[in-house]
This record gives sequence, C-alpha cells and structure tokens, in this order.
Amino acid sequence: MTLPARRGRRRMARLGLNLTSMIDVVFLLLVYFMAVTEFKPGEEVYRLDLPQRGRTADPFELPLDPIRITVTSVATGDYVLHLAGPPGAGPRPATFRQLVRFLSGNLRRDRAAGGLFEADHPIIIEPTGRTSWAHAMGAFNAAVRARYTNITFASP
Amino acid sequence: MIREKHPKPEPIAANLTPMIDVVFLLIVFFVLVSQIVEVENADLDLPRPQDPASVGPGEQARVVINVLPGSGGDVSGYRMGTRRYVADTAGLHALATSLATMYRDNPALGVNLRADRRTDYRWVEPVFEAVSAAARLSGREDVQGRVNLVVVREP
Repeated sequence: MTLPARRGRRRMARLGLNLTSMIDVVFLLLVYFMAVTEFKPGEEVYRLDLPQRGRTADPFELPLDPIRITVTSVATGDYVLHLAGPPGAGPRPATFRQLVRFLSGNLRRDRAAGGLFEADHPIIIEPTGRTSWAHAMGAFNAAVRARYTNITFASP
Repeated sequence: MIREKHPKPEPIAANLTPMIDVVFLLIVFFVLVSQIVEVENADLDLPRPQDPASVGPGEQARVVINVLPGSGGDVSGYRMGTRRYVADTAGLHALATSLATMYRDNPALGVNLRADRRTDYRWVEPVFEAVSAAARLSGREDVQGRVNLVVVREP
C-alpha cells in the first residue's frame, strides 16, 4: 500500500486590517474641527417676569413704595447710580457692589433683626434711554444677588 | 475508520463599513447642529456682570430674540430664529405676531433675549413690550410673559 503523498499545508490567509486610510481621515477631521472650533464662555440667564398689562389689581392690596434705581451711562464708559424710594439704612450706593451691600443689608430675613424690605418688595430698574445694556444688567444683577424677587425694568 | 473532514477555517474579517457609516452620520449631525446654533445665536458681546447671580439656561423649549447692534449704541434690527425684523413699530408688531403664533402652539415657550452690552436700553425695552403684546395676542391665559436675559459668566 502506498501512502498518499503528504499534501503541502495550505497557507492560512493572514489576518490583516488596513486602518491607515481610516486613521488618515479621522486625523484630518480632528485637525479640521480643532481649527474651526472656537470656545465661547457659557451663557447664563436671569428670569424676568414682565408685568401683565390689563391685570386687575387687588383692591385690598396695600401699595408699596418701590425702590427705584436709576442707572445712567456716562461718556467715560462708567455709570452713575441714583436710588429713590423708601429710605434705607446706610449710605447711598455708588457702585454695583455697594448696591448689593445696601439692598442686602436692608433685606428682612427670617429670625434676624433689622431689615426694612421683604424679599418681594418691588424694585424698579430705571435705565435712561442711552444707558448701555451692560449697565442696566449690572443693576439688575445687584438686585438679584441681594435676593430680591420682584424686580422689573421701567420704560425709558 | 472514516476520518472526519475538518472544515476549512473561515477567514476572519472585520467589516468596518457600518462603523464608518455611523461615524460620518455623527459628523454630519454635529456640523448641522453647530450651524443651527450659530443661526440662532448672533455673534454678540453680551453683558458680563460682576459676581453674576444668573442661572443655567435650562432644558425648556425656547426661542431666541437677538438685538442686532448697530453703531454708537443703536441697533440694525431684531432677529428671531432666522427671520429679521426692522427696529420700528411695524417690525416690533410683526415680531409680536410671530411670537404670539408660537405661544399658541406652546404656551410654556421660553424667550431668551440676547443684546450686545453696548446697545442702548431704549432698543432693548421694546422687546419686553413685544413679548408682553405676544402673550396678550396669543389669547391664552396660561402664557407667562417671561423673558430670560442672557449674559456671559466670566470664567
């Protein structure tokens, strides 16, 4: 009996995965997005409830004397604050930081002595027509920061 | 004895086609989304208050009104979505009417107001009036006349 001739081992196909082209494309895209992307600082919001026109006022509601904050932009790029309304303790503020301190110092807090105004005491920001939006928002931010909740903007 | 025949080894191949499909779909999606955001938000220098007490924008459905700056504190118009409105009485009325239509569909719609920090207040305040008018024109009691004032928080 003759043995069958030993068959030569078939070479197995080499497992190869050519990723070069894909990596090329991915890197090109990476470079493109890095070049195109511009990082912007995060935007945040203040919620402003607009007064509802035509709403009938409660006849038993006692009218409160609102705190009126006038903001005026001046030519130097600075601003001038003027506070009108019920008198508060302490010197009248000239900067937004002082405004926060003034409003915060006059806020009536639970179980704490002092404080002239409740948190929902009306505050009206009164920018002039030529006041820059940044200065108007500075005054608004001061009132929000001092934890007042009833803040509105007046018409110029 | 009958020898069992071993089946030939199957060649192993990773099919990258679906992965590449998905990657490209994601790329197309992000390119489109980034363009939509660009259209919605005009390139403005927003106010940057000191020690801001602002909050995150939230996930609520909203429309963005951009007050487009002109020269010397003036404006060149208003933009809501892709549509521009002239900064006059007729333009503001058109803005209020468009917004009223949106309020009818979604009374909980938020309105983000973006204005340049150098813009005069006299151009921003009419937007408040327009939003109030839109709430009234919508004829729905459940529409809250509320505006989200957009600022930038300094890092």
